[in-house]
Amino acid sequence: MTPLLELRDFSAWYGDRPALRGVSLEIRAGEILGVIGPARAGKTTFLRSLNRMNDLEPGFRTAGKVVYRGVDVYGEGVDGAALRRRLGMVFAVPVPLPGTIYQNLALGPRFGGRRGDLDARMEESLKAAYLWEEVRDRLHQPAFTLSGGQQQRLCLARTLMLEPEVLLLDEPCSGLDPLSTARIEEALQQLKDRTTIVLVTNNVMQASRVAVRTAFFLDGRLVECGPTEQIFVRPKETVTHDYISGRFG
Amino acid sequence: MSRWIRIVGAAFTGLTGAACLAILTMVAVILGDIALHGWPHLSWEFVSTAPSANLAEGGIFPAIFGTVALVLLMTVAVVPLGVAAAVYLHEYAPPGSRFVHVVRLALQNLAGVPSIVFGLFGLGLFVRFTGGGVDRLFFGGALTFGQPCILWAALTLAVLTLPTVVVATEEALRAVPRSYREAAYALGATRWQVVWHVVLPQSVGGMLTGAILAVSRGAGEVAPILFTGAAYYLPHLPSRLNDQFMELGYHVYVLTTQSPDVEATKPVLYSTVFVLLGVTFLLNLAAVLVRSGIRRRLRQT
Repeated sequence: MTPLLELRDFSAWYGDRPALRGVSLEIRAGEILGVIGPARAGKTTFLRSLNRMNDLEPGFRTAGKVVYRGVDVYGEGVDGAALRRRLGMVFAVPVPLPGTIYQNLALGPRFGGRRGDLDARMEESLKAAYLWEEVRDRLHQPAFTLSGGQQQRLCLARTLMLEPEVLLLDEPCSGLDPLSTARIEEALQQLKDRTTIVLVTNNVMQASRVAVRTAFFLDGRLVECGPTEQIFVRPKETVTHDYISGRFG
Repeated sequence: MSRWIRIVGAAFTGLTGAACLAILTMVAVILGDIALHGWPHLSWEFVSTAPSANLAEGGIFPAIFGTVALVLLMTVAVVPLGVAAAVYLHEYAPPGSRFVHVVRLALQNLAGVPSIVFGLFGLGLFVRFTGGGVDRLFFGGALTFGQPCILWAALTLAVLTLPTVVVATEEALRAVPRSYREAAYALGATRWQVVWHVVLPQSVGGMLTGAILAVSRGAGEVAPILFTGAAYYLPHLPSRLNDQFMELGYHVYVLTTQSPDVEATKPVLYSTVFVLLGVTFLLNLAAVLVRSGIRRRLRQT
């Protein structure tokens, strides 16, 4: 089976500072890939390289390839905006944009040039993000009136409005209470039937709960990647074991 | 030692406070003097009728009308241009580019040019070159736009106030959180969609602040309109873009310097200054109200 997304000897720099060094990794359709590692291991750079979010970063350079459906995303003539619609992203800090809940949800389809009725898809996206029951009667209230956990689920629903093929999550639960975290994890479990998920997390236990496969990054390198159970129970590398058991990081 | 420090501290507090008091005193004296001498001569007739030919009698309505028309025209010209320039500088140009550096340098220079130079510049560029060119091209050389008029005066003021608008708009663009832009990009927005749907709505307040500052500055300037459109005395109101116009600041200048009988024009002069301040204040107030209205609407959504 050809992978949906593939990194081939991919390196990235911010100016002179290397952030990723020669990473090769496959992401398969329909899986949840957990990405763990200490701070500054390159996890976020890895994630943001997949949908070219780092294009906006001055001085960002890459080498090697990121191949999505057989196309090098850093090749000539690739439309970054269209790519980001297919590879939707949710950030560590919830970023509701000014406007109502409804307006937030409508943004993605509107950017994509879609007109017409979005209500059905909104209900579906909100349900998938486990937020529908809490906001169904207040869609036209400002998004800022939601709690932090609700805002993050709104951001998830807003990304789902794009019907992305891949969902890129950058520590989506880092600022949330355990209950909100549980809601989001539940949502991810339901979503894996229709999207591929890449979940960067600082919480090792979250990876063990949610991920089908787990990748461990350290110092810009991919140390190892395999089925989550194997990474957690009998990792090939001692550093992986040390990190998972909390001996550093 | 400690006593010495206490004395220095007290003296410093006193000095800085006195500086603030001096500012208050100056403003109070200026406004008080104008209000005191300007008020008695004010009447409905004064603000609603035209001056008589010797300017010492009659009203100043044409000058009020001309000032408001001039400032509105200037605003219409300077805000889109200034906002567009600021958007390019802050949103599109690659950071640290040579072009941006040169444009900023040009803006700083523009802000430092004496206003009389703008007047001469306006005469050369707008009246003679542009206006004269338009006349040759479209009016068979007949004098139509190649003369001082309200359009060229407004454009000259627009150039004068351009740096103000650009700086205020850039400030507002800078205040839009980076996370907003990222969130929009992540939702598949193109660069102009990010600017149009996310950044600009967030910076409307700052743009209007720029407009307000431009109005304050523009409404009080006399030198730039001296050669580009202001008239000493006109029996009629300007009705076309290539009409000349009377203006309050210029009218004050005329009353002060051109009258044979200074004492006779003094009450008119004071009241004209009073009205000039009043009109500037009202134009500002209007812009502030528009801004707060927009801010309230933004906050509600």
